[in-house]
Amino acid sequence: MSKNDLKYSPPSWPDRFLGWFCHEDQIEILRGDVYELYEDRIKTQSKFKADFFFLVDVLGLFRPFAMKRKSVNSNQIAMFKNYFKVTYRNFLRQKVYSMLNVVGLAIGLACSLLILLYISDELSYDQFHSKLDRIYRVLEHFESEGVGEHSASQPFPAGPTLKNDFPRQIEHVVRLFNFQSPTLALANKEQDKAFNESRAFFADSTFFKVFDFELLSGDKETALNQPGSILITKSMAEKYFGNEDPMGKFLEFQGQQNLLVAGVMEDSPSNAHFQFDFIISFSSLKHWYNGGYPRTWYWNPCWTYVLLEENTTKEQLEEQFPDFVQKYFPSFIVDDVELELQPIEEIHLQSKLDYEIQANSDIKTIYIFGAVAVFVLIIAGINFINLSTARASKRAKEVGVRKSLGSAKSQLINQFIFESVLMTYFSLAIALVIVGLILPSFNVLTEKNILFSALFGPQFLIGIISVTLVVGLLSGFYPAFVLSSFNTVLVLKNAHFKTSGLNFRRILVTAQFSISIMLIIGTFFAVAQLQHLQNQETGFDQENVLMIPVIRSQMGKHYETFKTRALQSPHVKSITAVEEIVGAKHQVNNYQFEGMDVSKPFPHFHIRHDFTKTMNIEMAAGRDYDQTIQTDDSLALIINEKMVQTMGWASAEEAVGKRFYYRGQLRGQVVGVVEDYNFVSKHHPIGPFVLSLNTFPGAFNLFIKYVAVKVDGNNIREASNDLEAAWTSVLPNRPFDYFFLEDRLNDSYKTEQKLSSVTIIFSALAIVVACLGLFGLATFSVEQRTKEIGVRKVLGIKTSQILYLLSKEFMILILIAFVVAIPIAYLMLDQWLSGFAYRIDMQIWPFIIAGLITFLISTVTIAYHAMKASLINPVDTLKYE
Amino acid sequence: MKYTQLGEFEELVLLIIGNLKDDAYSISIKEQLKDTTGRKPSIGALHSALNRLEKKGFVESFEGGATKERGGRRKRFYSITAFGRKALDQSFELRSNLYHTLPKLGLSNE
Repeated sequence: MSKNDLKYSPPSWPDRFLGWFCHEDQIEILRGDVYELYEDRIKTQSKFKADFFFLVDVLGLFRPFAMKRKSVNSNQIAMFKNYFKVTYRNFLRQKVYSMLNVVGLAIGLACSLLILLYISDELSYDQFHSKLDRIYRVLEHFESEGVGEHSASQPFPAGPTLKNDFPRQIEHVVRLFNFQSPTLALANKEQDKAFNESRAFFADSTFFKVFDFELLSGDKETALNQPGSILITKSMAEKYFGNEDPMGKFLEFQGQQNLLVAGVMEDSPSNAHFQFDFIISFSSLKHWYNGGYPRTWYWNPCWTYVLLEENTTKEQLEEQFPDFVQKYFPSFIVDDVELELQPIEEIHLQSKLDYEIQANSDIKTIYIFGAVAVFVLIIAGINFINLSTARASKRAKEVGVRKSLGSAKSQLINQFIFESVLMTYFSLAIALVIVGLILPSFNVLTEKNILFSALFGPQFLIGIISVTLVVGLLSGFYPAFVLSSFNTVLVLKNAHFKTSGLNFRRILVTAQFSISIMLIIGTFFAVAQLQHLQNQETGFDQENVLMIPVIRSQMGKHYETFKTRALQSPHVKSITAVEEIVGAKHQVNNYQFEGMDVSKPFPHFHIRHDFTKTMNIEMAAGRDYDQTIQTDDSLALIINEKMVQTMGWASAEEAVGKRFYYRGQLRGQVVGVVEDYNFVSKHHPIGPFVLSLNTFPGAFNLFIKYVAVKVDGNNIREASNDLEAAWTSVLPNRPFDYFFLEDRLNDSYKTEQKLSSVTIIFSALAIVVACLGLFGLATFSVEQRTKEIGVRKVLGIKTSQILYLLSKEFMILILIAFVVAIPIAYLMLDQWLSGFAYRIDMQIWPFIIAGLITFLISTVTIAYHAMKASLINPVDTLKYE
Repeated sequence: MKYTQLGEFEELVLLIIGNLKDDAYSISIKEQLKDTTGRKPSIGALHSALNRLEKKGFVESFEGGATKERGGRRKRFYSITAFGRKALDQSFELRSNLYHTLPKLGLSNE
């Protein structure tokens, strides 16, 4: 019988399992069989396979004929049936308690499930790429002394040059490009359908070699090889071609270039860090750049991804970057540029760079949501434990009878754990229904598209079932031990019965309220911070400003005509044109001012005349760009106050007249200084900034992206009609589109908005759950003291005194909870707020209000019981015994 | 006559036990099944069938001596009983009778 004769022995645990279930008469033969099969397999197959099939064989033997017959104890099954019945009867007998218990837990579970769904969706971003661990985005950090940009994109030549210089480390490179334009115009001429599209990208032919996106028709190998080919998604095929087959048809791009539809793609997955509707072959760009690609290493508009070779690490390639930068980047910036590889899976949650393709989420939100989920679950779990323990005293007689009939302590423990696990699963069922009902609204709130069926994925299912089991076990554990330890004789004698574990319950209640108070405080601060970000002065006027995307349109030629015609409308107040969305984005350019040895990168912005007027930005000194001064275009600059400080100039007045250089040559002067305004969102402090006038019509291809129009707030509709008329008069073929600056800027705070609305909802629910618990406990404590209250009533107690009597205990607990919660909440919030450039100060009032709210809600809850107790007729409670 | 039913799989196993004569034990039956019919029953399914056959009285079993393989454990050998043999005969007879009364297909290549 020695296993040592075998060269390899099968895994031991299936073997032990076999020994455990198998009948003694059968064991030797069956074990022999599986061993023999194992020996046969190990000769021809791997150990892993043989082990696996060994397990399969053993499981295959788990059949009635082979099992131990005597060990199946029908008595135990009968007991479980009895437990089930008793649980059911108890549930019905104490409907209110039971419902409080189950519903409280169900709400808690539902909250956690929703948050869990949200988190798992966030974590799933870009996980669908099969080469996930080898795909990196190449970043460009371009800054000098903390001023500059952290760019998610690269110059045009960077991608191919990387591939060329490091052929052994890089398998493929793919670039994405969209003219840095918010929208691009596409049209199906045949059906006269034209739209401005915001999700069109030019991509290298290696697109499918790096990313895993589905191509429904067309060939992944060749689809992007030819200039002039375009891939469209299924929904775009419908939008432009209806029911026709789009393959082989043409779409007109920007009114000039015909693109052949070479493939139809599956819609871009919602959990990809960039969403697309159109992918255009990169070589189609040659049409726009005189037959080639831009060769500058300064302008960096291409999102560049590399697929590393199997055995290359990120560090191995990054090591080479400094030399690479020295070799290729323009000499005046080489010392300020650093390249970095960013793993694709980190983009969605951990990347907040300049020029992201679309706004990303924040890992902090995930942590906060996760914490809220855990908190709510803890509160619900504590509730469950508290109420079960409280209810336990009602079951004392049952325990006494069971014990005197010979129930072992272990059986009682089993019974109560069984019961609580049963209840948690009942709660889970309710929670699933709640989640199913709420999910659509939750999706709207969080702008997600989470499916209910996501809950039934294998990991989720196992997760949910085991978490619920753990909650059930933990909550059942304590009551089980308290109850099973009741003294039989005392219980049956109906002696004055005091539940032990009151202290333990007190601790739990305190914990529960601490968490609730923390959640309330957190909610206050989250909301206040959001308000602060959105409402604090930005230094410019964002109301009633329409933004009209004009990039790569013929607007450059017609700008002055358009402006004159539009201004004829009484509802249009002022018109300018800008490079990026004011208050959200900027570009970076090198400048050399008086007193600097070399040029340095500074945030800057191309504008047309009337910028300060349209945006209502005050001049601190000097003058604005003047329509009558032709040379303003190239020989004058306007800077902000922060720039004055950065340069170390004494005052705004002194800054006016300072000279600036271009390539070492004197170029012009600073003519004006504007007051500081938030040229990006308030996540960042205001930095130095340069406003540069650009009246060159060709600027509308790159440097001017929007026309910004200040309109009369009372007549927005008329104003937009007038604008459209002016637009059609100069650009009849291009659809007129606009958006409100204010709306777009509010989008910058989406993360905070989501965060505050989700925390509000879930803290409210947490408090509801905590109050359900308090309600239950108060009910219980009143019931325990009915006799006492009866006696006191006979002796003439007042209702207010009853209230005091009953609430005293809970009030002390809440006070302790308050004292515990404050420092923890303070530290956590301070940590969170420190991540903001513009943050609210820690104030006292939210803490006090949170305490008051908790105090009030609990007083009301207890008062209800006190009122009930005061109505008790002492005769009823005292006549027994 | 509760135990006289002979299932399809059971019949195959019974036939193989008869064919294997003195060397019919679980693994060899499994091998033979695989070779002749291509079926690969799990060892559990096979034992379950053998158990039923024994209960029905179609086979009898005895344990062999210890072997060097299988970690020194014994094998259980099966042999077909007269009753089992009769059941096979009956089954064969029934099937061939039914088969011969099948109408001939006009297009068959017989």
